[in-house]
Amino acid sequence: MSNTILVGMADYKVGKTPDKLMTAGLGSCIGVCIYDLQSQIGGMAHIMLPSSREMMKGNAAKYADSCIELLLEDLYKMGVSRIRLKAKMAGGAQMFTFAGKTPLLKIGERNAEAVEQELKKAGIPLLAYDVGGTFGRTIHFDIKTGDLYIKTINHGEKVI
Amino acid sequence: MMEISAIRLEALKEIGNIGSGHAATSLSNMLQTRIDMAVPKVWLVPLERLPEALGEMEATKAALYLKVEGDAPGKAIFVLSVESAEIIAKTLLWMKEPPNIYIDEMAQSALREVGNILVSSFVIALTQFSGVMLQPSTPALAVDMIGAMIDAVLLEEGKVDDSILIIDTKLSGLDDMEGKFLFIPDEGSLDKLLGVFGI
Repeated sequence: MSNTILVGMADYKVGKTPDKLMTAGLGSCIGVCIYDLQSQIGGMAHIMLPSSREMMKGNAAKYADSCIELLLEDLYKMGVSRIRLKAKMAGGAQMFTFAGKTPLLKIGERNAEAVEQELKKAGIPLLAYDVGGTFGRTIHFDIKTGDLYIKTINHGEKVI
Repeated sequence: MMEISAIRLEALKEIGNIGSGHAATSLSNMLQTRIDMAVPKVWLVPLERLPEALGEMEATKAALYLKVEGDAPGKAIFVLSVESAEIIAKTLLWMKEPPNIYIDEMAQSALREVGNILVSSFVIALTQFSGVMLQPSTPALAVDMIGAMIDAVLLEEGKVDDSILIIDTKLSGLDDMEGKFLFIPDEGSLDKLLGVFGI
């Protein structure tokens, strides 16, 4: 039986084939998937903010650095091989723009950069990503194939 | 759900009623049709329960977003269904058919105007009720997944308080519509707004 595991805001989940992982309505947040195709195990995190050093309040899963650490711990417990891990990510949009103003702080972009940095630090190759833009994304990850399906309201669908 | 004292709830309801009164009057003038606005529910939602309060995170909605500056700063949002937003734009612009609000810039501009009035009405109500000075910015509009719009607003600069004020509204006159006004207070703002009454 195929089972879709829902990942909430500032949350992360792991699963095994035939599980699928999904998170709905990513705006400036990043959805990152880390997986090991050979052992058919994968995880998804819905990350809200770049770094736990900036804002200590709240749960660790909110932040790129601490959340990826937690996700990796769970993946290792399930028996993934560190050297086989791969990653994909999506999100990091700028949903609202005020007329005539360029935002000083593009949280979406900073989020994407932070996740990329953390993956690099952990030595996990980022195989594909779909970030930026001005629109929301809902993502589904198939642990079996490593495919990340991205749905948007008015900007089409794609698989990376 | 968070325990709210009866008196706090009464205060919030009053803010909702004053705000919807202002909003209905301004909208009626703008659309030249009598608009009534009822407030079936006013609630304080803990931040982590916000997704539940908003329903399906993937649902497409129109959202008008304003920053609120002043003594109790925060972010204010008015959320409408896409159909309702299109009917409002159509009426305001004297169009025969509802516009496509994803691409029609005239319609988007009209909606920002309406959003300004709606959100300002509630912000003024907050000000009148609490005596705290608040100043809303010009609005931004997005039509997209509700979850994506809300997460973007939550991540804007400034820390967010633990609870969100939600005022559910029902508009009648044009068509039956439902809207939600959200005030997302910056850290400490909620106490400033409600602390005035010692509640």
